[in-house]
Amino acid sequence: MSNEEAVMDPHYTEALKSLLFQLADDDFMYSFRGSEWLGLAPHIESDIAFSSISQDTMGHAAMYYKLLEDLGVGNADKLAHFRPANERKNSILTERVNGQGYYMETPHYDWAYAVARNYFYTQAKKVRIDSLCESSFKPLAEIAVKVRMELYYHKMHWDTWFKQLMSSTEVAKKKMADANKLVMIDFGDVFSYGNRKQQIETSGLIGSEEDLKERWKKNIEPLFITLQLQVPEIPESPVNNGRNGDHTSDLDEGLATLSEVCSLDSTAVW
Amino acid sequence: MGEEKTFYQEYEIFSKRTPSSAFLHQYSLLAPNEEMALIMAQENFMRREPVADIWIVNRQNIKRMNADEKMTLGRLDNKDYRTTKGYGYLKKKWRQYEQEILDEKEILSWGGERK
Repeated sequence: MSNEEAVMDPHYTEALKSLLFQLADDDFMYSFRGSEWLGLAPHIESDIAFSSISQDTMGHAAMYYKLLEDLGVGNADKLAHFRPANERKNSILTERVNGQGYYMETPHYDWAYAVARNYFYTQAKKVRIDSLCESSFKPLAEIAVKVRMELYYHKMHWDTWFKQLMSSTEVAKKKMADANKLVMIDFGDVFSYGNRKQQIETSGLIGSEEDLKERWKKNIEPLFITLQLQVPEIPESPVNNGRNGDHTSDLDEGLATLSEVCSLDSTAVW
Repeated sequence: MGEEKTFYQEYEIFSKRTPSSAFLHQYSLLAPNEEMALIMAQENFMRREPVADIWIVNRQNIKRMNADEKMTLGRLDNKDYRTTKGYGYLKKKWRQYEQEILDEKEILSWGGERK
């Protein structure tokens, strides 16, 4: 379908908008949390590479918000900055703080958690993007093809970090195991479409929740076999489902920080 | 290429013209070891050119990209926000604001009365 056709069918449009918010809010919060690592990563080149990936990802979020703008939902920048937490559809995993402390003062961020979150998220994103390349909504499929181009490099980056730390010293393995557990606690809504499950799954916009979960598992299985570990289980029912606007206080805090400058003068021209 | 051991190995030769210039890849050659590679590179390829330094690298020691890895080199052309092309537009903006000051305050004050 094209833009014009989609607007005609309200059932389809609702599914499309909900999915676009899920995709946009995911990449937006994920790259915000990534940006908080600026200057803190354990290695100068990894600091720059991580920031670059975060900026790429912000660019992906911007494309989804722009598509929502084209569908008449509202201005892209405003959708990104000024929607309250209970209207956000990002997964809980993407809103979680990076660790103890605050960016501006004594951040005790956890690199193992960063690597684990980035690895599992990017693997999930890969599965979703591959599916979206076949989306029934043409403009969305076109975005997915673009995102896929950069995802090769994001995935290689986090695959490499993850693989190396997972097969490193005993201390590293222990830290990674703890981090993986934390990530998986929040993974229950990553492949969820929330209340819109039925509408989204029948729209041909993207594969079903189960289908994507299976592909995700299949993609990461070879590495876990090499490491002689079990593929982590995705929780059946998430404690909070971000897709329904049900979030943690980490999101409120994050939104307040990221929109702080923009809110000083919301009419300023940048 | 086959894995079997041969007498000759492939070496990549790098050199720089002056002590402060960057190394440039020049050629590859076959030699039995690094020392031989060095003297052969020197005698065969660099006798007519000024050279400040030479690097010899066994090709096996080069991490090369396979087809999959080359897929990671693609980038999107949507990075205006990251590649600022300077602040050339600021001049125009200043002029506009200066103009406004001139229009409203200055000119009205010359006339001595408001509309």
